[in-house]
Amino acid sequence: MNIPPGWSWLGQFLLYVAAGLLVIWLLVTGYRALARFLGGRPGLVRPLAIAGGVLAVVGALLPWVTFPLNDGPYPDLATLQFFDAPFAVTGFRLFTLITGVAAIALSFVPRIPVRRVLRALGLGLAGVALVNTIFPLIDGGGFGAITAADGAFAFGGIVTLVASLVLFFVSKAGDLEPLPRWNTKVPRLVAYAALLVSFLVLLFAVARLLNSGSDSGGGSTTYSGPIFLSLLVFFAGLFGALHAIGFAGWLSAVSDDHKLFSVLVLLLAALALPFTEAGTDYWMTIAANIGVYAATAIGLNIVVGLAGLLDLGYVAFLGIGAFVAANLSGAAAAEFHIHLPFVVAALVSATVAGVFGAIVGSPTLRVRGDYLAIVTLAFGEIFKKAAQNNIGGLTGGANAIPGVPPISWFGASFDESFTIGGVQLPSGVLYYVLIIVLVSVVMLVFANLKNSRIGRAWIAIREDEDAARAMGIKTGQAKILAFLIGATLAGLAGSVFAHKTSTVAYDSFQFPESVTLLAAVILGGMGTIPGAVIGASLLLILPEKLRDFSDYRLLLFGLALVLIMRFRPQGIVPDRHRRAELAGEAEGGVPIEELNVPDSPQGATR
Amino acid sequence: MSAPATKAPVLVANEVSMVFGGLTALSNVSLQLGEGQILGLIGPNGAGKTTFFNCLTGLYTPTTGSVQLRGRVLPHDPASVTVAGVARTFQNIRLFPSMTSLENVLVGRHARMSQGPLASLFHGPAYRRGEADARTRALELLEFVGLAKVHDELARNLPYGDQRRLEIARALATDPSVLLLDEPTAGMNPQETEATRQLIFAIRETGVAVVVIEHDTKFIFSLCDHVSVLVQGQLLVEGAPEVVRDDPRVIEAYLGKPPDEVEAEVRQYTEEAGPDTQVKDTGGNQ
Repeated sequence: MNIPPGWSWLGQFLLYVAAGLLVIWLLVTGYRALARFLGGRPGLVRPLAIAGGVLAVVGALLPWVTFPLNDGPYPDLATLQFFDAPFAVTGFRLFTLITGVAAIALSFVPRIPVRRVLRALGLGLAGVALVNTIFPLIDGGGFGAITAADGAFAFGGIVTLVASLVLFFVSKAGDLEPLPRWNTKVPRLVAYAALLVSFLVLLFAVARLLNSGSDSGGGSTTYSGPIFLSLLVFFAGLFGALHAIGFAGWLSAVSDDHKLFSVLVLLLAALALPFTEAGTDYWMTIAANIGVYAATAIGLNIVVGLAGLLDLGYVAFLGIGAFVAANLSGAAAAEFHIHLPFVVAALVSATVAGVFGAIVGSPTLRVRGDYLAIVTLAFGEIFKKAAQNNIGGLTGGANAIPGVPPISWFGASFDESFTIGGVQLPSGVLYYVLIIVLVSVVMLVFANLKNSRIGRAWIAIREDEDAARAMGIKTGQAKILAFLIGATLAGLAGSVFAHKTSTVAYDSFQFPESVTLLAAVILGGMGTIPGAVIGASLLLILPEKLRDFSDYRLLLFGLALVLIMRFRPQGIVPDRHRRAELAGEAEGGVPIEELNVPDSPQGATR
Repeated sequence: MSAPATKAPVLVANEVSMVFGGLTALSNVSLQLGEGQILGLIGPNGAGKTTFFNCLTGLYTPTTGSVQLRGRVLPHDPASVTVAGVARTFQNIRLFPSMTSLENVLVGRHARMSQGPLASLFHGPAYRRGEADARTRALELLEFVGLAKVHDELARNLPYGDQRRLEIARALATDPSVLLLDEPTAGMNPQETEATRQLIFAIRETGVAVVVIEHDTKFIFSLCDHVSVLVQGQLLVEGAPEVVRDDPRVIEAYLGKPPDEVEAEVRQYTEEAGPDTQVKDTGGNQ
């Protein structure tokens, strides 16, 4: 049989697809069979836990995948050096060891939901093993890298992966325990102490995470990606375990009861970040960018999360705010040669952006759902093209508006470093503080509006627009108001952005940025504040840490979104309502209506 | 036929017609609802009952005719109609599913609260007072319909009957003079239906006039002071329940003709059509 030239790729492609499907089928069948086998055998919990734990400990001590690089072999202490220094267990090996020992120990602790805890730890360990196996494979030239330097087979990663699967399957032996509910009626002092300690631990965990695998300035190195990811999944596993024993739920309930104190401590923790190991110029800049994006994302959350209006051109409002602020900053390239004080310029930026928001929002009176999304998408493109063509001389076109001076208050320029009580703080720390204040204000606006007559009207419109109108809500006004307020907040963030980056160019405000903002909202959890902040943080930190993967960044990002939408459609920090909704539900599957798609495509209606 | 309303009319519909393209859904339907009256609107499927409701509540703009509430013509905008004092429920329940019961009712208070965006932003003392009042009123209404204990439950998690009652509470939260109920007992068992009947009586006690669409004629005749029958977009009969119940035209519209008459018609039809179809069949086979 002769395959015509040019068609052989098709055969190959089909072969790969078939092989892939076969592997998936085998995995799924195997998983189901194993789960069914274990289902009726709750007595296997302890043996499995011990087996998994022992395997993990062994995996921690075995040689792992390795390969030589110019910067030295990866991972540090993961190769034959092990034979030189058998007890120098650091980095991901330490995580593996801790998980293994913890699994063995926890299986003997009475009255904790062992299955849940070990499932979380097992998933975290699987992440550690995969990251530290796959990364060298990809970067070190394929499976040849599995063989360690002296011809010793580096199967530490594989053993650890097996260990993690064993730990995961502990959860399938018998029925999963219910999530424990701790008594949330605790004395005020106990609550305060718990919150304080937790937020402090969080602060240091975040600082450690940010600086993991970094050079002394905080910047990325060749290995920061996997080192960061290992720590991230390990922390995620630990957090999952804390959630499984009921601690996370308890803490969240307690912080709800002591809202003011929690907010204050959280604010202080955020302000204390420059004093930790993450207090470098590098991270201050990233953190400031995160703040700008988070503030904008919270603004978008009003439009998308509360009112349910899909806006695909939202970053334009950030751009409008930034360009207005740049033009009023006294920069040489600006159209207006006036230099307004920052606060005034910020208010003007916010107002102008708000006006544009209302203008863009006005089509919402006539179009719904997908059609509205297209209108907003078009607006985003109009803004980009207008800015690209230097419309009215206001945007500088391709030359951008460079030289926007830093904000300066009382003689202190915001981009300089300074010292407090003998501690040298990184440059940009003042911007960081300003952005913390900005984000706090935006959060306050969001929270107050959400729990008000207006906020309820927005949510009602999202849920059922006709029913909302039948309740006496002037839906047109309410929707335009949502656009107006969201855009105002974005404009405010844009004014800070202009001064912080010092160059305002149209290409910072294109479609991918809009998508990133939307992803931050959806990823973090629609309609919630922490969701938008966490989403923005993840979306800005991951690219920094995964520089080596920049070619695959969008691919990985897309994959992560798909996975989150499949397994946690309500987002990382779900809305109270969605959480309540899921509390009574079995683990795993989530009904499709949980996917909060903003509106059904009802098309243009009256 | 008895006079439509002995008391002063609250809601008056004058010769309302609604034409969709070439389809006349309603033609010259008039209705008078007296103060404290319960009016039943019945008719077979597709008779135009819900269309009529949509005209009353401003969701549709009638092709001709007008609707007046206490002598004032209602605008063609659902929100304004609600503000004017006409509230409704929907045939297929349309709550806000991921809001709690209490929040659903609070949304109903929307038109009776006055806090604007700035007050909502700053949460001043006046704002908080208004919010607390609305909450109290909403809880009262939940108590009234018997849902006080599930006030923190998501609407979508409520049992079917409770969802119907929550929709009524939400409508009542708009402080209406007239409440329009679109099939309030659809899908309910006899006990729930009876509870709904009592609830509607209780609503009348509070001075709200009620219009009910329902298929369950037994329910309608035991509930209403006045019944109107819509058939194919036209008002066929109206009057006191007993009058309407015994009217042969209503029985025909609802149940069809008496069995013997129908049988006769069917026989006639098959005799006429029978030979034709046979001819066609053989034609097809050849």
